[in-house]
Parts: sequence; C-alpha cells; structure tokens
Amino acid sequence: METKSWLRTMRARALVRLWSIFGERLWIIVSMGFPVLSSLALSLLYYSIGAVGYIGFAILGGVMVSFWGNVLWSMASQFNWDKQEGLFEIYLTSPASLSAILIGMSIGGIIGTVPSAIVVIAIGWALFHPVVSASWGAVALTFGLTLASLYAMGMTLSSLYLTYGREAESINNVLQDPVSMLSGLYFPSIGAGSPFPFAIQAAASLIPLTIGMEALRGSLFGGMGIEAIWPSLAALAVMAVVFLALSSLALNALERRGRRDGTIAVRIR
Amino acid sequence: MISSFRSLFASAWMGIQHDLAWTSMPVALALRVVSPFAASMTVSIIYWFGVTNTGGAVMFNPAQLAYVLVGSTLYAQVAAYAWVPTIAIAEGKNLAVFPHIYLTARSTALYVAGRTLSAFAISTTASVAALAVAYYVLDSFLNTTIPLSVNPLTALMVGAALVADIPAALGLGYVLGAYSLYASKFEWSLPGYIAGLLMVFSGALFPPTILPYPLSAGATYLPFTQFIAAARVAIVPGVSGDYLYSMALCLIGGVIFLGVGLLIYFAAERKARRDGVIDRRMA
Repeated sequence: METKSWLRTMRARALVRLWSIFGERLWIIVSMGFPVLSSLALSLLYYSIGAVGYIGFAILGGVMVSFWGNVLWSMASQFNWDKQEGLFEIYLTSPASLSAILIGMSIGGIIGTVPSAIVVIAIGWALFHPVVSASWGAVALTFGLTLASLYAMGMTLSSLYLTYGREAESINNVLQDPVSMLSGLYFPSIGAGSPFPFAIQAAASLIPLTIGMEALRGSLFGGMGIEAIWPSLAALAVMAVVFLALSSLALNALERRGRRDGTIAVRIR
Repeated sequence: MISSFRSLFASAWMGIQHDLAWTSMPVALALRVVSPFAASMTVSIIYWFGVTNTGGAVMFNPAQLAYVLVGSTLYAQVAAYAWVPTIAIAEGKNLAVFPHIYLTARSTALYVAGRTLSAFAISTTASVAALAVAYYVLDSFLNTTIPLSVNPLTALMVGAALVADIPAALGLGYVLGAYSLYASKFEWSLPGYIAGLLMVFSGALFPPTILPYPLSAGATYLPFTQFIAAARVAIVPGVSGDYLYSMALCLIGGVIFLGVGLLIYFAAERKARRDGVIDRRMA
C-alpha cells in the first residue's frame, strides 16, 4: 500500500512537470536556446582552430548542459520556489513522500529535457558530421547512470537551497559556469588532456557530471566498452546512492527543524 | 533635465542595491566574478586543448589564446548586462514595482536606462577582475605567458570601447524590455538566448568571417562585434584591425540600435497601457 502511494506521488509530480513543459510547446523551443547556441559556438571554436576531431565534444557538452541546467534551475531551486508559493507546506502536511515528489520531478525533468538534447544532436550532426566510434551499450549505461547521479545531486541541493532561501538563485548563478568548467563539459577535465593540477582534478571528480562526461567521451568517441569504463560506472552508481541517501536525510532533518521552529510556512526568509 | 538625471541616478542606485545588497557588497561582487572567470577559462582551455591535441597540425599560439580570453571576457560582460532591462521589467511586474514606476511623472525608459547603467558598472568591474584572475591562472595551468598589453593608454582605449558599446546594449535592452511588457513567462529564458547569440555572432571566440554568408556580413557589422574588435586591438598585441574604425562602427551601430530600441519600447509601452497589461503579473 505504501509503495503504491509512493509510486502514485512520483507519477503525479512527474506528470505535473511534463504537462508544464509539453503543455506549452513554445517552452520547449525557449528552453533549448542556450544549449543549442553555446554548443554551436564552441563547435565553431573547435572548427576555427582546426581541431575538427573534437567538435563532437562540444556537441556532447551541449547535450549534457541541458540536463545540468535542468538540475540546477528545475530541481535544486524548485522546493525553494514551492516554499515561496506556499506549495511546500502542502507537501509536508500531505501524506506524500518528499523523496517521491523529488524523484517524480527528476523523471519529468529528464523527459522534458530530451527534446533540447535531440535538437543539439541534430543541429551538431547536420552541420559538423562529428566522427563517432561508439560502444552503444556503454554509452546508454553511462548516460543513464550519469543522469541518475546528477539528478540525485539535484535532490540533495534542493534541500540545501531550502535552508539558504532567497540566496538560492545567486548560488545557482555562481555554480553554473564553474561546474561546467570543472566537470569538463566541453573538454577533458580529468585524466589525460586535462589542464588542471591533480588537486583540482580530484575535487572535480566529486561532481557526478565529471565522471559521467569522461566515461561518455570514452564510450562515444573512443569506442570504449563497459569493461574499460566500469570504474567510472561504479563511481556513478555509488554517487547516485549516496546523493539519494543524503537528500533523504537532509530533507527529513529540515522537516523536523521546520516543524520545531515553526518555519515551514515562512515563505521568504 | 536635472530631474531626469536624478531619476537616472536613483534607478542606477536601486540597481546597485538590488544586485549587490542581498549580502555584503564585496561578497556579492566577488560572486559576480566567478561566472565570467569560469566561462573565459572554459573557452581558453578549449582552445588550448584543441590545438595541443591535433598531432602538431596546428601550433599553440599564445596570442591566439589572448584573442580568445579577451573576447570571451568581453562577451561575458555584455551578456551580463544587456538582459537587465528584461529582468528589471519582468521582476518589477511580478513584485508590483514596475506599475508604480510607470505611474510616476518620469518615463520608465529612464528607469530601464538607470538599471542598465548600474549593471554595466557591476559587470565591467566583475569582467575586468575575471580577466585578471583568468590571466594568472591560465599562465600557471598552461605554463605559458599570455601576451596582453596593459598600460594606461590601452586601459583607456578598452574603457572607451566598453562605454561605446553601451548604446547598443541599451538598444537591445529596450527591445527585450518591450517584450517583457507583454510576456509573463518566457522572459526568464531570454538571457540564455542573448548569451548564446552573442557567443555565436559577436566574434567573441572566433572571427565572424568563418560563418556562412550573409551571416558573416551581418555578424561583422554588429556593434557588439566591433566593440570586442576595438578592445582586442587595444590590448592584444599583433591583432589586426583598426581601433578607430571599429569604434566608429560600434558607435554608429549603437546609435541605430538605441534609436530603434527606444521606438519599439515606447510603442510597446503605449500599446501595453491600452491593452491593460502593465500590471499583469501572470499570463
């Protein structure tokens, strides 16, 4: 019974997200602006310096930046916005599980971001014909695990943003570009080819996107199979579990504190 | 005239308070440096990675790295303030500030201009700091010396180029502001579009001549492209170009942008009043 209720909550929240995206078709076009144009610009940068063999990196980065943007703006910030609108206290007073709501939001967000990713691939493919040497099974598994760990991180951030309140938007603005740089969305930021010192590479490896991008590049452009990238896959799986557990713990702690201090209904702090 | 300046100054001061006073000002300003620093580092590293991994087909050129670094920092500077009118109006409508400004004896165009000028000051400070930090960090990470010519004269020339770009950015801001008067949902995503378009068409990362015709011709004569070109001529040794020619094109283009932007903005404001959407918060 409890599992059924959990699944219904998750489905309901996913449908809200999907309806908000696909119910307004213009939104789909609007949301793909930055990923498409930035991917195009960086592909042209690779092209202009004669490094055409790496244009695929810029296209792949454009695909993944769509999901990273979705995690930051539609996952991490969402509970904070819900709180401002008065929705969060309704979540808490209902029997719905907060984790189910967050996972529903993630699933809706992933499906809603797919059109943007497809357009980035289509435009990149049509204009630059990047050379792909893929091990598709490894690509699919890496992609799935990267999204799982990335959205789990978004769930953890959403509880943190509830604590930070109105500073959340500024934190998002501060996080977006540095994480894009450190995680190597458009160039290898860890391992061979990285310009960063070891300490920075180690710190960057704590971001799921870093591990995911490295494994995606290896499997999509280097033809690496699962046997070659399994350490990355294992790391992504561990990160997904750890972030899920962390988000659950943080949300429970926040809920307890909110009930004790009477701040759940405070919309703006 | 004096009261118009007072309104402009008050709006600019409000912009400074809005953008920096949510925490201590030095912290807010430091946080503003992070994004342009990371963005300029990203494209500079892409250049470095691209040329050092082509098997010797292309040689690493520090001057080219300087070209990319300066272009990306300046692009970030424009992208950070050109969209402020959009947000000033959209947020103002949401929080009921904008209808009140509309009801005062002063034009909302002055309010928008003031907010843009404050954002210009903040983004210029942040971008110069980002350029300085990126310069030293890249020097250290890539074991190279990036050739930049920084002295009082070149600093003055870059400063003049930044100021010459204000009319164009303000004109673009008025066009987007006109959209914000009507829109109640998608205006939040416009900054992403502006940043992306500037990345492709302003010559920030690569010469616009590599774009297919007629896009290359259009991109070359954009005031934003000419602003970046003028600043590069000033600060990057060996870059081909004519500073005064670029400045003149930037100013002429900027005046046209500003004139057209104001016409569109005032027409939209009149229509918005007739249609009763100036105080509309939700679509």
